[in-house]
Parts: sequence; structure tokens; C-alpha cells
Amino acid sequence: MGAFEKLAEVSTAFPSGPVREWQDQGKRVIGYVCTYLPEEMLSAMDVLPVRLGGMGVSDTSRADSYLSRVNCSFARCCLEAGLEGRYDFLDGAIFVNGCDHIRRGFENWSVQETAALPFMYLLPVPHRIFPDGFIWFKEEVGRLTEALERRFGLRLEEERLKEAIAEANRTRRLLRKLYDIRTVDDPPVSGAEALTVAATAAIMPKAVFNPLLEEFLKETESRPGVGHDKPRLFVAGSLMDDPEFIENVEDLGAIVVSDSLCIGARSIWNLVEENGDPFDALCRRYFEHEPCPRMSGEFKRRFDFVMDQIERSRADGVILEHIKFCDQHGTDNALFKHFLEKEGIPVIELERQYGPLADAGRVRTRVQAFLERIG
Amino acid sequence: MTQAQQGQDAIERMVATFNMAGNLPEEIDFESAPVKALLESMDERRRKTFLAMAKDPDTRKMSVVFNRGMGRYWDSVVKARDQGRKVAFIPFNFSPEIFYALNMVPVGVEILDTMTMTLEEGIHPYLDLSVERGLPETMCSAQRAVVGLLEAEAMAKPDILVNGALGGCDPNTKIFEYMGEKFDIPTIFVDVPYYHDRRSFAYYERGFREVVKILEEVSGNKLDEDRLREICTLSNRASELAAEITELKRHVPNPVPNYFNMNHLATKLTLMGTQDAVDFYEVALDRCLDRYHKGKHVLPEERIRFMFMYTGFYFDNSFYSWFQEEMGVSLVMDVLIFLDHIPYIDTTNVDTMLSGLAAVNMNLPMTRQLKGSHNLHGGWVSDLLYYVERYKADCLAFSGHTACKQAWGIYRVVADRVQKELGVPALRMEGDGWDSRITPMEVIQEQLTEFFETLNPEAFAQQRVTAS
Repeated sequence: MGAFEKLAEVSTAFPSGPVREWQDQGKRVIGYVCTYLPEEMLSAMDVLPVRLGGMGVSDTSRADSYLSRVNCSFARCCLEAGLEGRYDFLDGAIFVNGCDHIRRGFENWSVQETAALPFMYLLPVPHRIFPDGFIWFKEEVGRLTEALERRFGLRLEEERLKEAIAEANRTRRLLRKLYDIRTVDDPPVSGAEALTVAATAAIMPKAVFNPLLEEFLKETESRPGVGHDKPRLFVAGSLMDDPEFIENVEDLGAIVVSDSLCIGARSIWNLVEENGDPFDALCRRYFEHEPCPRMSGEFKRRFDFVMDQIERSRADGVILEHIKFCDQHGTDNALFKHFLEKEGIPVIELERQYGPLADAGRVRTRVQAFLERIG
Repeated sequence: MTQAQQGQDAIERMVATFNMAGNLPEEIDFESAPVKALLESMDERRRKTFLAMAKDPDTRKMSVVFNRGMGRYWDSVVKARDQGRKVAFIPFNFSPEIFYALNMVPVGVEILDTMTMTLEEGIHPYLDLSVERGLPETMCSAQRAVVGLLEAEAMAKPDILVNGALGGCDPNTKIFEYMGEKFDIPTIFVDVPYYHDRRSFAYYERGFREVVKILEEVSGNKLDEDRLREICTLSNRASELAAEITELKRHVPNPVPNYFNMNHLATKLTLMGTQDAVDFYEVALDRCLDRYHKGKHVLPEERIRFMFMYTGFYFDNSFYSWFQEEMGVSLVMDVLIFLDHIPYIDTTNVDTMLSGLAAVNMNLPMTRQLKGSHNLHGGWVSDLLYYVERYKADCLAFSGHTACKQAWGIYRVVADRVQKELGVPALRMEGDGWDSRITPMEVIQEQLTEFFETLNPEAFAQQRVTAS
């Protein structure tokens, strides 16, 4: 079994094999949502951070009785998984007030006495990147640290934090190499494979993931290309933790060469500064990293990031996707479309559903038409 | 279908409508030939609005003063540029006083959006145009029509956008960013903290003061202490009068006409800090006290005291008179006039006044209730329990405004808490506060009648028979 297959195998089970092995050592696992949670802080306390999603959820009937049809399908799937007990193996969950949907999903889960986990925490993150906001954020991360220390009898030590930062930076650098590989004329890695790898990084210990990714990167040197003469596409928008959407696109004869996704380029592009006060550096990196549309007044930075990535990956066209009812990405995508088209870059805007509600047929039809358009 | 109108005259046309409505005579004979002819000349939508405002003498008296104030207000928007005043678009949870103090003209986006309904072409063409030009249809109709107005170039662009809805509502925040980027308008955001405690207030206040500095630069005016005090004093006076009226709502039966809520909301969001706001509330209080002393109330008698647990329906003002004159339902309030926790402004000095204005903003609807968890202090649950109990609501409805994802996302838990703690039931509806096409008023009325029938079978079964 090659390295990619090993990583892919991890991604198909939740909890994955490495998570179970971690727990077998008597160590704790905490689920989280959102790229604004400084996960190194958990790792440094020997708590494994595992990114939550709706894996395995086949319908959202329980969640739908709390969230509604106007709430996004990702939030509904996460709540469903919580209410079904799929997350019961976790010692706790930390959410972020990332958007209206996910924070309400968290609240609904938290108030269910039989379904809530022993440790349920919401990290409030400011909605602007500005000096006072940073102070607030750092204080809040400090409060979270104290809550974890109190609840589990742990201690965040500076040296361990430095180690965790170094390990996570290594993951980011390796994933960045994966993005570099995809910029060549005939990339040996598909977009679906790249997303699988990026998503796997968020659900297993970095110390186990990093060697596997290194092995995979080595394997790609002898892999044949998978993108010869194919239209090169760039994807931006709402959260995507399942490669199915990109597989669908690539099955139509295109290759996805880069992205602006939270499980993707946006979360790996910025490193944590390894010199100086590690806690301060960690908070700064998370607060100021390539911003999600939840951060107000940062559209120009998001647009510049998208333009840089398009140029770097030499994309021929752009897919702007958002999960239905996701106002953050839906609105950003409308602006991206407006400004990208002004730059002469072909764009298709797609509204989609997450998880079991995904409407693959409609997406395929529209992407096919788009591919014909960009020739 | 009526089209969006180009030509930058949308606001002028609003001024004309309000000026006309501000000159209604004290006495109107609805059976007279001229009034009948006037009513016949109106389309159904405008006729309903006119009757809701003008038929009841008390409502008419307070509405005349309100309309005069609104006419002057919208006229100031039209004339702002010629008078060297800068126009700022703000959301409904940002109080207007600071703009008046800096000789700027604040335009509440949701109020402007609602006022497009006074235009001959109505709101729909502007709602649709915003979506045709790219905005997701799931964004809020309370602001979408303003995007449509800008797309149609039916009004001039503002000089600045100031948003303070961060954390309380994604659509509200994003639409300001959208307008700023798409129409190239400078935009500033005040971050709203998740909690409602001293630390959070200090954080918000620092952000608010930062905004004031920027507004000084944009307006070209330095904050003048005397002018600020004058504005804050007017604002406090208006708040006192409004509070007296709100206090009257505690009486059973409630003497305050349902339509007051609509005028109150628009006044609160646009005119606080002006003499026009004080004038309106003085007349409104006078009418409400008179009604209280004469034992006047909804007709035929107060059968239900009703509250929207979040926003209500604003696209058809006949809703208010239907409750008032046919159903015997007191519409006590909706969340947009949950204003009991708004503090008075300490006018000692500039510092206390800025601090007071920041405190007003932090307690405005939605910011107060929805910025954090539903069950935090000052959150949706604690406020609902307070208002339902204090104003003796018999029942609640969640209007289900499509864009309110944060409210939709916790509605059930909140409604269950109110039912459990106070025994007050809630009806969940699915509608849109500004777009009649999502759920038409006839359907809303039918659903509410059925709901009321479950609470007061005898009275409302009869109502259904009469209606059919």
C-alpha cells in the first residue's frame, strides 16, 4: 500500500485508526470546527485535535428539528453527528463563532443533556483583524487554555508548545509542497487527492501524518501526470472536507490545481513564527492568517490571495462554490465573480449542499457546460 | 411587472409621499366623495397602507407628525450633498445621534429598504435586481432592496458605510461589505463582542470611539461638546417619552394602537437626537394617554396580547389594523422595539456621552440578543422571558424571516424555554418581513387566526366564520 492509500484509508474512518491508537495510550481527543482554533495549544497538552465534519451522516432528521432548512447542511450534519452519538468517542468539542449556522449548531448540541460531551466550549473570535481584536483573541485563547487545564488537569508548557508549533509548521510546509507540485504542466496529483490529504491532516496526529506525507511527496516524483491537456481549475468557497465534489469535477476531464478553501490553501499558507513568545506567535498566526469571509473588511486581502493562487497555479477557470444558505461565502463569491470577470477570468458560481444532501448531478451538468465554455 | 426606476429620484419620491401624508387633515370623512375618489386612485398596496395609518383618528394624529418628520428627514438626505453634509448608511443596530452631532445624515439601511414600499414601483423590483446582479437570494430582504436601489442608480451613493452588526447577523454584515466593495464606498466596521459584560462593553466602546474619529475626518467636523449634548438631550427626552408609552402597554387592555409600533421603530432608528423624534413621541403619548383614560383598545375587545419573538412582517401595514380593528389582538411588540434596556445617555461631558452612545448601541435589538449564545446574560432567552412576563403576552410567533439564520438556528430551544418557564406558546411561521411573495399576507392571517383559535376557541372560531 502506497502512502496516499494509507492516508486515504485514514480519511474514510471516523474515528480513524490513528485516533484510536492515540486513545489506547490513555490520551485525550477533542473535536473542533474552524481554522481559527489554535490547535497546537491542544497538541502541546497531549490532547489530539480532530476536525469535525459530517462523515457517515446519512440524513439530518434529528438536527433538522433544531436547526432549520435555512441553516447550512454542514452545520446540520455536524449537529446530527453529535446528536446521533457519532462523536461520543471524544472528550470534548471546541467550536468557534465562525458563522451564524455553526455557532447555533453548537448551542443546540450543548443544551442536549444526553448528547453533549463532557467538555463543550465556544471560542469567541473577533470579526475584524485589528489590534484590539488581537488582544481580545489572545485573552480568549488564554481562557480556553485555562478551561482545558482545569477540566482535564493539564498544563500548557512553553517548550511543549514550541514543539507542537514546529510540528504543525512542518505539516504546513509539506502541504505547501503538495500545492507546488500541482503547479506543473502535468501534475502527478489530482485535486481530489490533494483535498483528501489536506483533510486527513486535520484528523490524525501530526507526528504520524508528516512522515506519511513526506513518503507520498517522494512517491509523486515517479508518478505519471494526471493533468495532461486538461482544463486547469481553481476552487474557492465554503468548507469542503470530502473529495467527492472535486472528483465529480475532475471526472468531467478537468484538473483542480489549487484552491482557496479552509481545508486547503487558506489554512496552510501562513506559518507560526518560531522565534519569540510561542503563545503570542500562535495567537497572532491564527488571528491574522489568510482570512475567512467571516472577517469583515478583509475582502481585498481575500481577493489578492485568490488572484495570487490563480496565477501561481496557472488556472484556466474558477469554480466558486458555496453551501446553500452560507451568506459568508455566497456574498464573497458574488464579489469574486464580479471582479474576476473584470480581469477576464472565466468563472462559474455553484450553490451546493454538504454531505448526504449533495446534489452531484446538477453540479456535473453545470460544470460540464462551464468546461465547454472555457474550451 | 413594475420595473426598478432609474434616475436618482427614489428619495425625492419618498419625500413627496411623506409630505402628502404629513398634511392629512385632523378630520377625514371616509364616506365623502373626494376621499373615496382618492382611495380609488390608489393601488391596493398603497390603499391598505393609507387606511392602516389614517382610518383610526388616534393613529392618524400620531402618524401625521411622524410623516412630517420623515418628510423632513428624507428631504435632508436629498439635500445633503448641496448642503455639504456627508451621508452614512448604517444598520438598524447603530444609533443615529453621533451622525447628527457631526452634521452628517445617517440613513438606516433597513428603514430605507422598508421605505421603498412607498414608491409606486414598490420594493420587489429592487429586491430582484440585487439578485439579478449577483447577490445571493438568501441574503436579507431588509437590506437587499437598498442594493437594488444602488444597482438601478435610483439614488446617490452614500459617502460612507458604517456597520455594527458583526456577530449578530452574518447577512447584515456581509451586505455592507458587498455594497462597499461593489460600489466602491468606504466602509468601516465596529466589532461586536460575543459576551455582554463589562469587559465586552469596554471593547465595544473602544471600537465605537475609533469610528467617531473616522467620522470626524469624513465629515470634516470636530465633535462639539455643546452640539453633542443638545443631540443627546433630545435623544434622552425621546427615550423618556417612548418609555412612558411602552409602560402603558402593560395595561390590560393595552391602550397603545398597534400602528404606533411601526412609527416608533422608524423614529428610533432614524430620528433619535432630533426635535422631530420628540415631537412625534409627545403626540403619540398624548394620544395613548387619552386612549387609556377613555378605555380605548383594540376592537372589539382585547382577546389576545401578541408578541413576535423576533422580527415581524413589515410589507403590509394593514396587518396592524387587521389586528387592531378586526381581530382584537394587541401587537405588544417585536424584537425590534425591545428597547427597555437601552440606557439614558449621561450628558456630563463628551466622554460620558460617547460612552453612553456606545452603551445604547450595545443594547440595540439583535446586537443585544443575538451576538452571543441564546442563554447568556442579556441574550435572547433572558430578554424574551423579561418582555413576555412584563408585557403580559399570551402567545408568541416566530415570523421565520428567511434570512435570519441565527434566529432560525436556535428558535426551537428558545421557544421551548419560554413555554416551559412561563407557559406561553409560540407559533413557528415561515415568511419574509419585506417580501410578500414568500408568504402572502392572506396566508399569514390564516395561520395566525388558526393559532389564536387554539388559544381562544370561542372568539376566533367566530372570526373564521365571519372571514369566510
